[in-house]
Amino acid sequence: MGLAQWFKTSFPVDNEALVEMSSEPIPNHLKKWWWALGGTPLYMFVVQVITGLLLVFYYQPDVDGAYDSISRITNELPYGWLIRSIHKWSANIMIASVILHMMRVFFTQTYRRPRELNWMFGVTLFLLTLIFGFSGYSLIYEQMSYWAMKVGTEIAGATPVIGEWLATFIKGGEDLGQHTLTRMHIFHVMILPLAMVALIGLHIYLIRTLGVSDLHFKDEPKTEKKTFPFWPDHATTELVMVALIMFVLIALALLFPVHMGERANPNVTPIHIKPEWYFYPVFRWLKLTNLFWGVMGPMIFIVILYLWPFIDRFFEKIAPGKDLSFWIGIIGTLIMIAFFLWEILGH
Amino acid sequence: MKRKEFFSSLFAFVPLVLGFLGITKMSADFLSPQRGKAKIRKIFATSLEDLKIGESKEMTDLKGKEFLLIRTEDRKVKALSTTCTHLGCTVHWEQDKNRFYCPCHQGVFTPDGEVVSGPPPRNLATYNTEIIGDNVYIYLKDKEA
Repeated sequence: MGLAQWFKTSFPVDNEALVEMSSEPIPNHLKKWWWALGGTPLYMFVVQVITGLLLVFYYQPDVDGAYDSISRITNELPYGWLIRSIHKWSANIMIASVILHMMRVFFTQTYRRPRELNWMFGVTLFLLTLIFGFSGYSLIYEQMSYWAMKVGTEIAGATPVIGEWLATFIKGGEDLGQHTLTRMHIFHVMILPLAMVALIGLHIYLIRTLGVSDLHFKDEPKTEKKTFPFWPDHATTELVMVALIMFVLIALALLFPVHMGERANPNVTPIHIKPEWYFYPVFRWLKLTNLFWGVMGPMIFIVILYLWPFIDRFFEKIAPGKDLSFWIGIIGTLIMIAFFLWEILGH
Repeated sequence: MKRKEFFSSLFAFVPLVLGFLGITKMSADFLSPQRGKAKIRKIFATSLEDLKIGESKEMTDLKGKEFLLIRTEDRKVKALSTTCTHLGCTVHWEQDKNRFYCPCHQGVFTPDGEVVSGPPPRNLATYNTEIIGDNVYIYLKDKEA
């Protein structure tokens, strides 16, 4: 028995099933590469898993050694600065592309029946991505990241009913310290990646079983065949996307590499403090409202986001054809952009 | 479902569900830290000679905890925490504006620690003080980490 024959016998592959799996019909609009935005967070997640695995070899999750270990990675180890830069920039691209992907789904209303549950999985993935960003940033243990962690855990503490328990659980005690860093580390490198993989799996499973929604454009010529096979057509488009995103990612990492901020000082908040860009709207909101609404506002927003497919159905029922959801989405987006710019330009 | 199948399923699933709930509760208790009692330390802060009436002094103890002393009367000294009551950042004293300012969310407090503007829900916390002879002592509260 030849080696190839031995392998085929030991590892039987159902070729027909493979062909069926890879020839999933893809709607025509996905030939336009900019409709392939949903894959970007997935590629960025893969990049983060790989770079994260490398970084965790040297990172020390203790309050005395965390900052120094990251400083060593950044300034002393071969290519450490590049690996850390790619890790950081891929996180930023991941968050940006998740937001854009969600906006695309929202404005094309592809969350409608039967995809309500998949929209909810998507919202959960969005929240997980933000928690990923928050926990990863906390691990650096520099001034800005320390105080971001402080504010973040205090916000958790201000949650009605469960706040006190939640904050103590996240912090691992009554105040920030070693237990907090340990928990952030475990969340960032273990619990969140596992949850992410499971949810991405569910998200893709539902996309495959329910199919990608078919979109029609006003100026689109009517064709007989409205779908094309996943393999090799769509896979090639996705590969082009991967190449393009990787190019942008490497360019960003090279042009804007990461630096070390000031070491964390738990006793003094820096006079100029800003969170990471994706928390700007919430940060501005917290400045404008009292503590209760400061915390409740984002929570209500998340609940609305989860329930949006059902709220949209209600709007369609009371005002059919008026596109209420679209206009609410436009107003919501403009408010977010306004808060974002206000936080950039204001102090 | 036949009676035999029903009881078989019951015997299989009930212990599994109970076991799962038990493990969940045990894990939740294990991961939820006990709330420690706040420790109170009495430390020497200053002498009255070094703090004239109407003067204030920003101080840091050996553990790095910041507080502010204000001598309001001949034998009365007020000690203020510098932790903002909004989301726990430390406030900064702005001499030119005669106020405390929280850089996180723009909370503003008077020199006595009262909220002037911004989102803080309460005035700055105060610590108990004691004057023995010419010395001022302060009772600092530490949270258990």
